[in-house]
Amino acid sequence: MWHITKRELYNNLNSLRFALTTVLLLALMVTNAVRHIREHPKRVQKYHDAVTESINRLTSIADDSLYELARQGPGVLYKKPSPLHFCAAGGETLLPDRVDNWYDARRLWRLTYPDANINMMNVGPDVSQIDWTFIIGYVLSLIALLFTFDAISGEREHGTLRLMLANAIPRHTVLIGKFLGALISTTIPFMLAALVNLLMISSASEVHLNTEAWGRVGIIFFIVLLYTCLFLALGLLVSARVQRSAVSLVILLLTWVTFVVFMPSTLAALASGFSPSMSADEYWERYGQSDSKLRRTWQRSWYGADESELDEKTLRKIGEWHTKTVTSYERLQGGFLTFKIIQVQRARAITSISPAALLHHLLETFAGTGLDRHQQFVGNVQRYAREYREFIVDMDRGDPESPHIIGVRVGMSKKPVSPEAVPKFEDMLNIGKDFNTAAMELLLLTLFVVVLLAGAYLAFVRVEI
Amino acid sequence: MFLTLIRRELLDNLMTFRFAAAVVIMLLLVVANTVVLIKDYEGRLADYNTAVKTHRQELLTYKTYSDGIYWLIFDRPPNPLSIFNAGLDKRLGNEIQVSHAFIPTIWDANKHAADNPYFNIFTSIDIVLIFQGVLSLLALIFAYDAIAGEYEHGTLRLVLSHPVRRGYILFAKYIGAMVCLLVPLLMSLLLALILLTTSAMISLNTDDFLRIGGIVLTSLIYLSLFYLIGMLISAITRRTSTALILSIFVWGFLVLVYPNMILTAVDTAPQTDTKPATYHQIKRMWKELERKRKQFLLNDSVPGEGLGLYIFRVFKDKPSALMYFYYAAGNLETINEKSEPQVPHAQNFFRFFGPLTVNTAERTWLIRKPAFEKIYVQPANRGRMLLKFSPAGLYDAATEAWAGTDFNSVQDFFIAAQRYRQAIINYFHDEKIFASRQWFSADQGAVDWDTLPQFSFQRSDIGINAKQALPDLFLLLTMNILLFIAIFLVFIKNEV
Repeated sequence: MWHITKRELYNNLNSLRFALTTVLLLALMVTNAVRHIREHPKRVQKYHDAVTESINRLTSIADDSLYELARQGPGVLYKKPSPLHFCAAGGETLLPDRVDNWYDARRLWRLTYPDANINMMNVGPDVSQIDWTFIIGYVLSLIALLFTFDAISGEREHGTLRLMLANAIPRHTVLIGKFLGALISTTIPFMLAALVNLLMISSASEVHLNTEAWGRVGIIFFIVLLYTCLFLALGLLVSARVQRSAVSLVILLLTWVTFVVFMPSTLAALASGFSPSMSADEYWERYGQSDSKLRRTWQRSWYGADESELDEKTLRKIGEWHTKTVTSYERLQGGFLTFKIIQVQRARAITSISPAALLHHLLETFAGTGLDRHQQFVGNVQRYAREYREFIVDMDRGDPESPHIIGVRVGMSKKPVSPEAVPKFEDMLNIGKDFNTAAMELLLLTLFVVVLLAGAYLAFVRVEI
Repeated sequence: MFLTLIRRELLDNLMTFRFAAAVVIMLLLVVANTVVLIKDYEGRLADYNTAVKTHRQELLTYKTYSDGIYWLIFDRPPNPLSIFNAGLDKRLGNEIQVSHAFIPTIWDANKHAADNPYFNIFTSIDIVLIFQGVLSLLALIFAYDAIAGEYEHGTLRLVLSHPVRRGYILFAKYIGAMVCLLVPLLMSLLLALILLTTSAMISLNTDDFLRIGGIVLTSLIYLSLFYLIGMLISAITRRTSTALILSIFVWGFLVLVYPNMILTAVDTAPQTDTKPATYHQIKRMWKELERKRKQFLLNDSVPGEGLGLYIFRVFKDKPSALMYFYYAAGNLETINEKSEPQVPHAQNFFRFFGPLTVNTAERTWLIRKPAFEKIYVQPANRGRMLLKFSPAGLYDAATEAWAGTDFNSVQDFFIAAQRYRQAIINYFHDEKIFASRQWFSADQGAVDWDTLPQFSFQRSDIGINAKQALPDLFLLLTMNILLFIAIFLVFIKNEV
């Protein structure tokens, strides 16, 4: 078997396709690294500036009073950019990078989610960024097919297959040998390019990859290997079934175009067309309904009244009204957001038939970008919002002189708040949680590989020479 | 002899597996995507119709000019040809507010019916994209063995032993293959058109069919370009296996890699760093207006904008769109006896302030326009320019121009909105509306919004579409001719 592998390897290494592959992958990976080194520090800087500004703001509010903290809230909360952005850009330019915080002169803060229509002002051409997802999903898969399309049919055409099988080698050994040979010869240029890419990125002083990031890159390498295997197996299967290499390549190319290039988008568009949707109008109608309901409970006599003159019962009512308003708006808006994201995820689940889409999701998950990451960020924000509100209540409870009415200036503790004690928002990437969502997809990918390999084996065993 | 050659080529190609595969794959992809695209277009059209209706109804609830001018909102109809090339039709804003206090642009537009913008993370596919990816690949698959195959089989020697010119052989091959490639192209297009015409909501006029004709012509030239590329590779390499591999790499580079790589390497994102400075400059102008307003009110014998009358100010502050403005407005339902003497003062104030607001808006436009140009248009144009180094980019640009979904055509709508704003302001000046009672009060009857000039927008003429598409088309054609000459030279010099 090693003999066959070695022979395949030598054959491939000397070929034109190997040279072209290496050049192409190197060019792509270098472009990717250059872009990342140029853009990533900007992103990180922007994030840090925004976070510092938020913290400064929080400190100055904390200096004021607990009531102001309860009214104005923690400010805009930003999504932390992933250091592995170069692996999967994940449509980050189309997703919001923050959650806003709304308040007015009297009403308490609440979370609002900015729209995902960020790209509306950009009049430039539509292109996908060159990230690892692109390089692997499109280019590497095509290359894997180019290395295997003539693996068996080519030998048959030249008559060498007959020669080889005349020796006392079991057929599966031949197949595995060919598979390994192709795998190694596709992995060499990819590894080379990827290492150059990682070397460039990690040696740039502005970009810092920590241990966890390297771990994630390791997992990504594993996924890439699996994905390459899938296309190699597909190539072998078709090559074994078909008499002529040219036909084999035509079939493979057309399959590739369908499954890799068009399937993900077409299926997503189909799925989005058929899934039930709550239109924006419907949402605003509901919003208006709950708004008017809340307005009705707000009493006229409260309006413009001097709070210090109202009795405690009324104040308590006002406080309750404020808390209720915040919860009901947040539930409505959060619910709408979750609805939209779930709708997109359902559409995405359907695209999993395409291995390219699977790779896309997996890489996004492990690179910490994309929709799943956005959802995680929103979850973090919501958790933090609870924590923040609990902190306010706790601080208020700690003051025996306070009447404990949250949401009313005179009803809250007047003790100074130490700015350090106020919880700060820290956006985190959680790898354990990622793995749960990714396990299914990994299994599916593995299943594809196994099925195709088995198919290739059966096809090759039954082949007549 | 020539006809015999063509016939031979045709038969050779028609009976192959690749021809059947090409037809099947094209039909499958085009039909599946056309169904989705039509559904999407119908959805957008329905949204557009509702939006137009609601905006109209909303406007009618406003009783005074100054109150309603914030609600003069117009919607950009979806372009039915976006099914062929979506271009910018779907992405950019589709409703624009026309007010005297700012000049409407693409960047001030909003989006109605953006039900789930998170769907944007999927790349959208249109028919041109399918042609761009699949047709080019098919052309190469048909071309790789055109010459190399004959070398290998030794049939070339046979053919050349006849008294037939080499140029004829090339030409016959070219025609034969192109006819074969036309079959899947035209069949899929025909099916798409049938699907289009069965949809009740889509109505295409003669111009639209001519535009589609333009798209087909461009597709044809694009297809021929890739066939010639494949033929050149075939003539140079002389071996089918090498030609095939090389062709696939060339395809991958031109169609898949280059467009994405060049825009990753060269930054063509909007250059937003000059935004804050420009925004503050604009804000200062409006502050200046505020000073003038105060100055005016100080000199007026009656203090306030119309003492006792409820006059409010409408603000808009959106730094991301370089937008800051405010204007004074009133929406009085009734004016009682006591306030009546103040009406002339208020009228006097608005006679002064209305035109001044318009003037300030026009002065800020002098800053906003070049700023938008620099922030958004220039990087975008640079990106488009770079894309045109690949035939795929040229093809995309040309079909976008034909379909009328390119930047200029979308811009037309906003230019129409700007023109309409000017018409409204002229009307206001002519009818002295700024100084009229109805500007701020509806006590003597509400505004009849129908008397205003009507907004109308027509998609640009096919002549203009053609004019924009022709340079790219011409470039594609030139490449075709150059490639054919190159193939001819290579083939002539080749020894058999």
